[in-house]
Amino acid sequence: MPKVLIIDDSAVMRKIIQRNIQQSGLLVDEFVEAGDGREGLEKATSNNIDLILCDWNMPNMSGIDFVKALRCSGQKNNIPIVMVTTEGGETKIEEAKGSGANGYLTKPFTPEQLRSKLGNFLLVK
Amino acid sequence: MMETFALDITESTKTLFETMIMMDLNHDVASMADNTQIKTDVIGMVSFTGKCPGVIALFCSKTFSIKVASKILMSELNDFTSDVKDAIGEIANMIAGNVKTKLIAKYGDMHLSIPIVITGEGLSITAVNNHPMVAETTLSCFSKEPWLMMPFVSNNEKFSVGLLLRESNK
Repeated sequence: MPKVLIIDDSAVMRKIIQRNIQQSGLLVDEFVEAGDGREGLEKATSNNIDLILCDWNMPNMSGIDFVKALRCSGQKNNIPIVMVTTEGGETKIEEAKGSGANGYLTKPFTPEQLRSKLGNFLLVK
Repeated sequence: MMETFALDITESTKTLFETMIMMDLNHDVASMADNTQIKTDVIGMVSFTGKCPGVIALFCSKTFSIKVASKILMSELNDFTSDVKDAIGEIANMIAGNVKTKLIAKYGDMHLSIPIVITGEGLSITAVNNHPMVAETTLSCFSKEPWLMMPFVSNNEKFSVGLLLRESNK
């Protein structure tokens, strides 16, 4: 069963995302959490992560810098990344996808939108 | 301009309530309120910089904040815990983020601060007269300027989302 890394500087938002995933029927074995891109990079490369959900605005290393750093790194650089952020403009979406993000979900989201975006990477019950 | 802002706030708040909070939501007419008219228990606020610098804030009671936090966290909360405070910050952040996306199309790039939550009993916001930092900063809600207040009712509880803009940008 898959392991999902959630990178968001808000602990309560990490909890909200986890509960939405659990409620949406997506099959996840374990959640790993990180509070910024730098911590996310460490956890992405040292765990067997199957999918990464990443916020945009974070201290130390932003989400977009995390995407670029992981895609340029020599290890685990092909893990799917879905940006989950309040940044909703077309320019940001293009920038994220151009940097290597595989999907983009704007907060707030419904459980159906979450399932639709993550269903490409996770199995549904 | 204020009518547009009021519409942006209403749409952003409605979107949030329809997606992640799943509680009924009705709104009333927007009005300008000075600091003597604002009394609340909880303030969740996010400031933004750019061509339209200002502050967006959620004003609500402790009981309402526990209700919305329970909904968004999908668990029954009974006390005003740190999770409730953090959830109010995230709710303010998502409303501000949505408003920002709408404003960027009209006014160019903007940046949001991290959310700040202030709690107390019957909080009021009072301007600090002649304090230079108040005039200069966009991070403070303690301004003498009037707020654009959007009143809402959800689950028989009243709350407001307010917008404060720096005078030079009105």
